[in-house]
Amino acid sequence: MPDAGVLLALEDLHASYGHVQALRGLDLVVRVGELVCLIGANGAGKTSTLRAISGLLRAARGRIVFDGAPIHGAAPAAILRAGIAHCPEGRRVFPYLTVRENLEMGAYVRRDRREVEDDLERVSTHFPVLTERRRQTAGTLSGGEQQMLAIARALMSRPRLILFDEPSLGLAPALVETTFGIIADIRRRGTTVLMVEQNAYLALRMADRAYVMETGRIVLEGPARALLDDDHVRRAYLGA
Amino acid sequence: MEQLLQHLVNGLVLGGTYALLGIGLTLIFGLMNVVNFAHGEFYTLGAYAAFAALGLAGLDFTLALLGAIAAGALGGALCEVSLLRPLRHESIDTTMLVMIGLWIAMQNGELLVWGGVAKSIPHPFPTAPLVLGPVSLAPLRLFVLVVAAALIAASYLLIQRTKLGRAMRATFQDAETSALMGVPIERIHTATFAFGSALAAAAGALLGPIFLAYPSMGDLASLKAFSVVILGGLGNVPGATLGGLLLGVAEELGAGYVSSGYRDAVGFLIIIVVLVLRPAGIFARAERIG
Repeated sequence: MPDAGVLLALEDLHASYGHVQALRGLDLVVRVGELVCLIGANGAGKTSTLRAISGLLRAARGRIVFDGAPIHGAAPAAILRAGIAHCPEGRRVFPYLTVRENLEMGAYVRRDRREVEDDLERVSTHFPVLTERRRQTAGTLSGGEQQMLAIARALMSRPRLILFDEPSLGLAPALVETTFGIIADIRRRGTTVLMVEQNAYLALRMADRAYVMETGRIVLEGPARALLDDDHVRRAYLGA
Repeated sequence: MEQLLQHLVNGLVLGGTYALLGIGLTLIFGLMNVVNFAHGEFYTLGAYAAFAALGLAGLDFTLALLGAIAAGALGGALCEVSLLRPLRHESIDTTMLVMIGLWIAMQNGELLVWGGVAKSIPHPFPTAPLVLGPVSLAPLRLFVLVVAAALIAASYLLIQRTKLGRAMRATFQDAETSALMGVPIERIHTATFAFGSALAAAAGALLGPIFLAYPSMGDLASLKAFSVVILGGLGNVPGATLGGLLLGVAEELGAGYVSSGYRDAVGFLIIIVVLVLRPAGIFARAERIG
């Protein structure tokens, strides 16, 4: 029997790109309603972890269990349908599609057209700037607007778990605050969040729990507040 | 002046089918990055499918046209699944060589099946032209123009307004992110190639009865399609439409006012000028779709 309240569990996960081993026996758990962050240096395997969860990177060994059902080996579409959305690093909006079309792409796997329309409307209350620009192509938006679009697009699939990969990357400090505010808000409204973030200080301040990753495995885990005070974390990731 | 109008109308008839060829290739070449030298062979396939349906089976023109479109789509899908899918991550040069191989194979296949003698495709339209002031137009040509316009409009709607079209555009902008959105990438590749090939086949079925069907007819069609894509800019569907019409009209004017022997030369002359002056295509300003 799985641990009560566990939404996502990675067990002894291994994955590689060709000969390069990216994940070497990763164990990680996300419970319903949590905001969990994954920190670590460049190349530690944080992005690979998210890619393995959403089906872009095939696991060579180990298991990924979402809501009690194994999802490793499933296609990205099936994983998305199961309820995991992935907001990729670098925003990756479709530059030549309009803002509205980008949002519609986020709802690609959904069949309930009327409710998709409602959700498109709802986006405008949370992201007014996207409504103003809905006929513009996404490539013409500023970096901050593209980040809002990427987040809104990920929400369009109505996920139960949303993966954020470096949401603060390349954003001005004021926009970083806004972005983290939005992510906190998404969690408050009931969506579970697993976030990879280089800005360890900000990430640890807002997360419930955190994992520290080094060379493809977890080296440290615990309540985010406790990690903020951990000597190793402070030296290696907080520059203290 | 009267002649000018007549040339313009003839040019639009020709240009409409060039636009179909061009839209098909701009999807395959511009979006999918496949230098499809076999594009003209799907045009030939369409012409022979029309010949089989009209001349051999005695079906009506609408059914023949639908049959040709289906043959093109089916042939395109088959070619994508069997030749291009296994080479998905190979370089553009590799797939280009494979498409050259397919071009040779298809053309010789046509020679084998239909023989080298040109076939005239019968059509049900009266030969007496419709006369409207200074312009006279054979009913067949009017039909070709109308159907080409309808197919162009339908293509545009499919690409711009449908979920499939949106997924096509998204896939060729960023395949990995499209996969994250749940788009079945492989099926989108097949659908896009089939769609492009079906448009080429439609062009062949439409022009076949005006000219003749013969195995090497696709060679010039390929060249024209590449010209149209270059004129309009890679991946630019409105550009391919305008480019096709422009090429058709330019050829008619060249044939009418210079010499009919220079018909094809005029088109290529324009390409050279465009490549020198505006290498991204005449309509480079217009948004590309992928």
